[in-house]
Amino acid sequence: MLKMKLPIDILVVDDEKDFVEMLSLRLEDAGHRVRTAFDGDSGLAALDEAECDVVLLDIRMPGKDGITVLKAIKIDHPLVEVILLTGHGTVDTAVEGLKTGAFDYVQKPAKFDELLEKLEDARDHRAEHEKRVRRAEARALMRHSGDV
Amino acid sequence: MTDPPARPRVLLVDDEVDFVSTLGQRLELRGLPTLTATNGPDALDILDDNPVDVVVLDVRMPGMDGIEVLRRIKERHPRIEVVMLTGHADLETALEGMRFGFFDYLTKPVQLPQLVEKIEDAFRRRCGEQADEHEVFTDKLQQHMIVADRLSSLGELAASIAHEINNPLAVISESAGWLRSVAGRESTTKSELEASCERALDKIESAIDRAVRISHNFLRFARAPDAIVREVDLGALAAEVGDLTSKTAANAGIEIEVETKPGTDCSIVSDSYQLRQVLLNLVTNAVQAIGNDGRVGIVVGGDRSEAQIEVVDDGPGIPEEHVERVFEPFFTTKEEGRGTGLGLAVSRGIVEKLGGRIEVDNRPGEGCTFRLVLPRQRG
Repeated sequence: MLKMKLPIDILVVDDEKDFVEMLSLRLEDAGHRVRTAFDGDSGLAALDEAECDVVLLDIRMPGKDGITVLKAIKIDHPLVEVILLTGHGTVDTAVEGLKTGAFDYVQKPAKFDELLEKLEDARDHRAEHEKRVRRAEARALMRHSGDV
Repeated sequence: MTDPPARPRVLLVDDEVDFVSTLGQRLELRGLPTLTATNGPDALDILDDNPVDVVVLDVRMPGMDGIEVLRRIKERHPRIEVVMLTGHADLETALEGMRFGFFDYLTKPVQLPQLVEKIEDAFRRRCGEQADEHEVFTDKLQQHMIVADRLSSLGELAASIAHEINNPLAVISESAGWLRSVAGRESTTKSELEASCERALDKIESAIDRAVRISHNFLRFARAPDAIVREVDLGALAAEVGDLTSKTAANAGIEIEVETKPGTDCSIVSDSYQLRQVLLNLVTNAVQAIGNDGRVGIVVGGDRSEAQIEVVDDGPGIPEEHVERVFEPFFTTKEEGRGTGLGLAVSRGIVEKLGGRIEVDNRPGEGCTFRLVLPRQRG
């Protein structure tokens, strides 16, 4: 089947190595570009190196937890969308995450179609957001040149 | 009203035919007249035609499930007491069953003495009910509160379990999904498919192993046996645990020293078997915390009212942010496969049951002390 959809640049951050490996294979199989990190700090480092469209971020990780990482992403890379991966007992934390600026959350084990849909929504949201930022920049630029 | 019989008349309901007939015979041997049914509708028919005091009812059955059967029994025969049998996966269902007023529940695999005890308790409840409605009402309320309390802590644990089991489940789910997408592609060659199968099956198998370990540990946790209380010599216990752990420790360059503070009365009344399990757990943790080269002290001390065993290590100590969480079920910093995060949770449960407590003195960078504090007399 030919998919006409654009590939999404995804960064998966989760300490469950096997999960990350299999999920990435599956996402790549669905035509997306995937990078991985096994803890919050290397996830943030990967974003500093090159931004992506969407970060799939596990909430419960040793070291920096998901919410801390989310906050850091929203400061340094505000346009990058974050989808939180939550376990059974962490839905409350997911709600906190949404208030902190996550785009959405999915419960593990996730339904793949649902996940793909959310990834696409997040990417579209980012594209829309970027467009508005560019327009605003252009307007600001015009105002400035008008002042001169 | 006719006098109640001397022994409870039992109806056993479970869809596993062999289980029902074997258990039925064993109950008969214990002097409990037992009828059996292998599905809900049959059970309800039997109850309409036969006097029964206690129903032992499996939660999970094809067709009409245990909860529905329970609901109907309570509707038609409110005085019959019901003991539910649940698998460990059905605890949430068991919780639901509480609303319909079962007497108590047992986790499968069932141990006969326990089951007989529960049946007899339920029977006493039923006889009592015939004696004095009011007293029984408060009594029943209390009983329900006890069950509710037990189930709510089980509920908490069940939530942790669900979370822990979901992790391997997520691995299995992604592996299977990926494999399906590889297999569904027409361009996939046979050798590609074989390699993919190999890779995905590896992940699936190790995820299953992990889930099994979690469920086994949970069962051990849930089935902490009742205490067998007698006089225990803490000095001898410490020495025994020192012996048991010294070899593994020595391999990592760690020395274990057992010591009794001068003037200590080492004798207490407690459960030596369970204390040994706790102490072994604390010492093993200390050894693992040190990693390589160090010293673990097992120090027996205390005063007239309380006895103490300290497990002192000179490892790195516990990071401040973890101190609060070390007793949480499933909290672990060990690598996947090395620890389940249940050791300290179980240990604390045991020690509290024995009337004592576990204290932690954390010295980040210098080591850590876990102190077992036990009453000299139980209760």
